[in-house]
Amino acid sequence: MVTSLLSTDDLRQARALVEESGLRFEPTFDDLVGVFEAGRLVAVGARQGRVLKMLTVAATHQGGTLLDEVATELVGRGFQEGIDSFFVFTSPTLVPTFEALNFSLLASSGKTALLEYGDGLSRYLSRYRRQVVQGDNGAIVANCNPFTLGHRYLVEQAASALDRLYLFVVREERSLFPFDARLRMVQEGTVDLANVTVLETSWYAISSVTFPTYFLKNGDPGGALQMELDLLLFGTRIAPYFNVTTRFVGSEPLCRTTADYNAAMHRILPPLGIEVREIERKTAIGAAISASRVRELLSRGELEGIAELVPVTTLDFILSSEGIKIWDKGVSR
Amino acid sequence: MKIVKKVQAGTLQSSDLMVFLAPAEALCVTIESTVQKQFGELIRAKVDEVLAQHGIEAGEVRITDRGALDYAIEARLETAIRRGTEV
Repeated sequence: MVTSLLSTDDLRQARALVEESGLRFEPTFDDLVGVFEAGRLVAVGARQGRVLKMLTVAATHQGGTLLDEVATELVGRGFQEGIDSFFVFTSPTLVPTFEALNFSLLASSGKTALLEYGDGLSRYLSRYRRQVVQGDNGAIVANCNPFTLGHRYLVEQAASALDRLYLFVVREERSLFPFDARLRMVQEGTVDLANVTVLETSWYAISSVTFPTYFLKNGDPGGALQMELDLLLFGTRIAPYFNVTTRFVGSEPLCRTTADYNAAMHRILPPLGIEVREIERKTAIGAAISASRVRELLSRGELEGIAELVPVTTLDFILSSEGIKIWDKGVSR
Repeated sequence: MKIVKKVQAGTLQSSDLMVFLAPAEALCVTIESTVQKQFGELIRAKVDEVLAQHGIEAGEVRITDRGALDYAIEARLETAIRRGTEV
């Protein structure tokens, strides 16, 4: 029977089992469950949000149904919490095992593979079937928190260089401006550009699944691996679907995590046939325009400087009653 | 009848299936199976039959199957329907 692992001894056994199998024991999770046999832990698995991790079965007990039971329990518990899509990080050698559980492979790099339960990626892509055009297309993935003149400049440069530009707005709700507001600011701020298509990333690019450290901003070394998977997933599954041959990105002088991401992009995408073009940031009042600069001004209530940094469509939103509610709480990021 | 809440039934074990139901405007059924190639159509027919038996007209039905037999499909789906239509 699968049970919750709660006591200190449970945790000690879980750590030992996970490490024995060559995985890293990560102490952050929403659920940690396992199966005991005669007082000994023989299978373990954890769930953090929609991500299942550390799924391990003792060497002496493999080949049975323990992994299925643990995965069932974690999916069931996640579902109770309102989550309806699940991912798993595991060793590439276990990919076939998870495929037999109806997981499908998203990306795999040397030591780690990312799979999802079900075929959400195909469903996500097919939702955009009608927006796919032939030709040499470009892509930008951006949070746009909020949409600035810097984003606008990047979009203009990219759109003028290629047939069509797909602008993927980060779906994840971890930012000051909620997704709906960010999407609207982007749509309104690019409506005059005929060859720009605005889409959302779902869980498949810069999300808490593919790139959790993006939202932390502290250059966590463990993030490097996931950054790679995020880019592999983009390069092998998303870009080909939209005939994307170039990914555009703004140069990053300030934030370490984003700078690392850009560096990883130059390393991973070109071998997959995707050119990476880094565009020098537009500046205003002596410094690069960035969304974090806008948020900083908002948090201090300094509205005067903002008009220089954002398009009028964004400014209108920020000053609307809906917009004011979002930033007038002294919250940053 | 309509699905009025998000529910789940079944397991990820071999010879079983997992059923997820959620409210939706129309009836939308997606089935993934490790034996899709061999039995995809038969599974679909069974699922449609059970949905029709219970008069389900609207809802999102997601199924991941690992080679469950007809009886298992019927039982898991009926359990989920009962849970999902309970007010």
